[in-house]
Amino acid sequence: MNQVRVGLLVAAALLAMPLTAAAQPKKAQPKEINLDEEGAEKPAEAPTEGEGAGAAEGEGETPSGEGEGLGDICKIDPSACPSINMDEAAKRDINAEMYAVQQIYALRRFRFEITPYFGITMNDQFVAHPAPGLGLNFYITNVLAVGVNGNFYAALNSPSNFNFQTSRAARVGIPITEYAWNANANFSYVPAYGKFAGFGDFIFHYDFYVLGGVGAIATRPIAVVDPDNRTFEYKPRLSFHVGGGLRIFFNRWFAVVAELSDYIFFDELENPGIPIGNDANGNPKAQDPTTWTAPETSFTNNVQAQVGFSVFLPFSWEYRLPK
Amino acid sequence: MMRRFVNSLCASRLLRRGMLAALTGCAALAMSAGAEAQEIQLTGPLAGAPAVRKLRLHRAGRIEITPSASFTLLDEYQRTIMPGLRVMYHPTDWLGFGVWGGYGIQTTTSLTDELQVKAIDERNCPTDSNTATDTACKLTAVNLTRGNLAQDQLGRMQWVAAPQVTVVPFRGKLALFATLFVDTDISFFVGPAVIGVQERAPCGKDNDGNTLTDRPCAAQSSFQLESRIAIAPTFGVGWNFYPTSFFGFGAEWRALPFAWNTSGFDNAGSGNDEAFPDTAVNNKDRQFRFNSMVSVNLMFSLPMKVKSSD
Repeated sequence: MNQVRVGLLVAAALLAMPLTAAAQPKKAQPKEINLDEEGAEKPAEAPTEGEGAGAAEGEGETPSGEGEGLGDICKIDPSACPSINMDEAAKRDINAEMYAVQQIYALRRFRFEITPYFGITMNDQFVAHPAPGLGLNFYITNVLAVGVNGNFYAALNSPSNFNFQTSRAARVGIPITEYAWNANANFSYVPAYGKFAGFGDFIFHYDFYVLGGVGAIATRPIAVVDPDNRTFEYKPRLSFHVGGGLRIFFNRWFAVVAELSDYIFFDELENPGIPIGNDANGNPKAQDPTTWTAPETSFTNNVQAQVGFSVFLPFSWEYRLPK
Repeated sequence: MMRRFVNSLCASRLLRRGMLAALTGCAALAMSAGAEAQEIQLTGPLAGAPAVRKLRLHRAGRIEITPSASFTLLDEYQRTIMPGLRVMYHPTDWLGFGVWGGYGIQTTTSLTDELQVKAIDERNCPTDSNTATDTACKLTAVNLTRGNLAQDQLGRMQWVAAPQVTVVPFRGKLALFATLFVDTDISFFVGPAVIGVQERAPCGKDNDGNTLTDRPCAAQSSFQLESRIAIAPTFGVGWNFYPTSFFGFGAEWRALPFAWNTSGFDNAGSGNDEAFPDTAVNNKDRQFRFNSMVSVNLMFSLPMKVKSSD
């Protein structure tokens, strides 16, 4: 019976301990936070590297609680106190699998990317070629994708005031063209991935990509030299596509995209000269369509700045990669 | 920790001394331990932790000396390449004050070359436009020199000096090919810019509208450049990389919006909204342009040692 009393007293004393301990660090207790999906499942474990709120930037760090934990063991049971030389242990070579940027936030492998965007001309002061566009990509690996993209220019081409003023002042006709559409098949590669801390408070992720492809663009000259006689039809031409862009992720399936793309092709320009006289049938040569275009094609870079957003499908996926 | 302590007690002495007391005590302890675990779950171990630890402060308390080369974009008649220098002091890692300046060197665009060949050289207009027989020569006498287009009438930015405030809201790191990584930040800057501009001197009428009888625009002698100072806002964004503690590199885009006459043409001054030529070249022919440029920067920071955040 005495043993029972002693046992109950010990139990009562022990009961009091955690209650006191719980009250003690009231002001030092951390605030409630909204943990991310994975982290929320095991909050008491060591902080994950990379995207977690405690991610180390720069030189890395030693978790502050490690030493305290060993000290507690020694206080409770000196015989169980581990005899580890911490200095020696710290010098050991560790073959840890580390990546420059840990925990890629949005994996792309086996996902579709749908990118609506709007593009504006960067290098043509004479005619603006704004265009809505759409890009579709499928990522074969996390960094390599195959896809298509297209731009719709028709009805949005607009000759500039600069073109008008230069022609008026110098009395020189400058050949200009307009575009109808363009379509390309592309390979995309993502060589760089990173993350930013915004105002030292929140973290967002981004990546760089480059792309290259081949396709077609439909163009036609705008008649400025002899608009009375000349009308042109759109013709598709072989074009090459090179570009690069930046994608900033807002969550794991939505990102904003800024891209600079160059659509390279040989364009047909209006003939700056007007043939005079009549042909063998008595028709004016100026009305012969074969005389309307310049004899040589012109190497053209249609450089376009594109801004849009990306949606990745499926929205969620199983996180299997180690980084 | 408390749970392990309790478990060891339960498994050893108390269990041997009194099964009932131990069971009662362990049950009670388990209840309180469970309550404490629940509280930890609510708060979380990372609560209150900063978003980033051990951040290398590449800017805080340092002077940054940055040689740069700037290249103007979307030029119509002349491109400007501008070697320059930026000196900044950053009292904190996110705020800096300094000045940027550069000296402009011009090269002509293909449009200027085409105009020189087709509109000036091949047309071969006489020096005195009154003696011209070619209609094009008569009509373009006000707008085209008979000499060198670039030297006689095209506007140019000679130099720029711009005090500026820089804010660095975004700081991060970038992995290249998943192996190399580099510290990086994005900065925004704004300030006033003082620009030394050369553009075609007024002819026909001065900037106040008074007739300049001794300087008709059709006379070849009117084709000369005059210097002036333009004040404009400047702002932009930069992306910087820090491979070492004292050296970095980056690129920035800068806007310098102001009105000037890049062509030396008589574009405006009469008619509706003064949108038609008035055979005079003056400030009415200046047009607002969103001049922009891209700079490539090499950044050296002093002192060379970099600090880290907590």
